Amino acid sequence: MEIANIIESKPKSNIYGLVGNINLTSNNKNYNIITDTKFNSTVKEYLNSPKDTSSLKMALLKDEILTKKSSELSIGDLKKVSLAKALIENKEYIVLDYFDKELTDKEKSYFKRLWKKLTVDYKKTIIIFTNDITSLWDIAKEIILIDKNKVSYTIKEEAYTKVLDLFDKAEITKFIELIQAKGIDMKYYYESNELLKAIYRLKENG
Amino acid sequence: MKVMFQVNDKDIQDIDTTILYTPSFNYNEDAVYFINNNCLVITKDSSPQSYDISDDLYKLFKEEDLKSKSDLSKIDEIKLQILSSLNSDKEVFVFFNVLTYLDKPFKEKIISYLKTNNKRIINYTTQIEETLLLDYLIVIHNNSVIMEGKKELVLQEEKIINKLGFNLPFIVELSNNLKLYGLVNKTYYNNQELVDDLWK
Repeated sequence: MEIANIIESKPKSNIYGLVGNINLTSNNKNYNIITDTKFNSTVKEYLNSPKDTSSLKMALLKDEILTKKSSELSIGDLKKVSLAKALIENKEYIVLDYFDKELTDKEKSYFKRLWKKLTVDYKKTIIIFTNDITSLWDIAKEIILIDKNKVSYTIKEEAYTKVLDLFDKAEITKFIELIQAKGIDMKYYYESNELLKAIYRLKENG
Repeated sequence: MKVMFQVNDKDIQDIDTTILYTPSFNYNEDAVYFINNNCLVITKDSSPQSYDISDDLYKLFKEEDLKSKSDLSKIDEIKLQILSSLNSDKEVFVFFNVLTYLDKPFKEKIISYLKTNNKRIINYTTQIEETLLLDYLIVIHNNSVIMEGKKELVLQEEKIINKLGFNLPFIVELSNNLKLYGLVNKTYYNNQELVDDLWK
C-alpha cells in the first residue's frame, strides 16, 4: 500500500502510528522506508557519505560496522543501517516498518527520543508502522488503522483509551481489565508505576 | 534434561526454550544448523511457493479469510508458513523472531497446539514478554550465552537483564514492586493469578 496516499493530507513534523495488516511501499521520493534492506557492498560503500559515522552513531551503531557486508549483519543492525542511510538522505518522511521488533527496551526508549527530536529540530514526519500499541501511545499524535487496504479509523491521542478493543492489547491494559472484571473501579494507565500506586491506594482503602 | 543440540557453543536442552538475544546477534548460522538437523525452521523471510493447510486448521485458528486472500502481507505469510507446518512430522519447531509479529491469541494458540502435539519449541526473540511463553530461558549477548536456566530463575537476575537493555516482563516487574509495598510475597508470571491473589 502506498504510504504517501495515507499520510499526505496530515500535518507535517509529527509522529504518526500506523497499524494494519498490509505491506508498505513508496514510490514517492520524499519518503524513506526503514527496513532490513540487504545490499551488495560494505556498509561504508552503501552509505557513501562523509556523514556516515555520525548517522551510524544516531542509529546506535559503531564505526566498526562500516567494513561489514550486509550478509554479516543481524536484522536489527540492517534496520539501523537503513535508518542511518535515511538520516544521510535527509528526506521529509521517515517510515519505520516494524523497526521496534529488533530492539531492546533501552533502545526503544532512545529511539522514541530520537523521533521526537527529528520532528521538533529537523521538521521530519515520522510514521511508525507496528502492531505494538504500547510503542505508540506515548508518542504518536494520531494512530491510523488500516483494514482491507483502506484507512478504517484515525484515532487522536486523547481517545486512545476509548478504542483499546481495536488493538492487540498491551500487558498493562489486559491486567487492568482483569481488575475491572472483579468489579473494581480502576481506570486505564499507560505506566506501570502509576498502576502500582493505584493498586496500593485501592488496597490501603480496603 | 538432556542436551538435544549444540549450536554455536549453546547447549539446547530437551525442554521448550526461549533464546532472548540482543539485536546485534546474527542468527543465520543457528538457522542453518537447525535446518541441517531436521528441525522445522520459520524465519521472517522464508516464503514457500504454496501452502498446504487443511480447512480444519484454518477454522481452528480462525484464519479462514487467509484461504482466499490474494494480496498477502508479511504477517499473512508468517501465519501461513506456521499453519502449513503444523502437520509436519518434524519434532522440533524453531521460530526466529517471528512470533513477535503475530497477535497474542494466535501466538498462544500456536504454542498450545505444538505442546499438545508433543513438539519441542525453540523461540528466538528480542521481546522480553515472550520469555514467559516457554519454560527454559537462554540469554545471548555478543554471540555468548550470558545466563540460562528455568525462566523463573533467570528472570530474577534483574540487574543483568537491565544491563543488556531489557526491562523485566510487565507482570514480573509489577509483582516485584508489589512485593516491595508488602502487598504480595512472591513473583508472579501470570496476570490472572496476581489479580486473584490481590482481590480474593
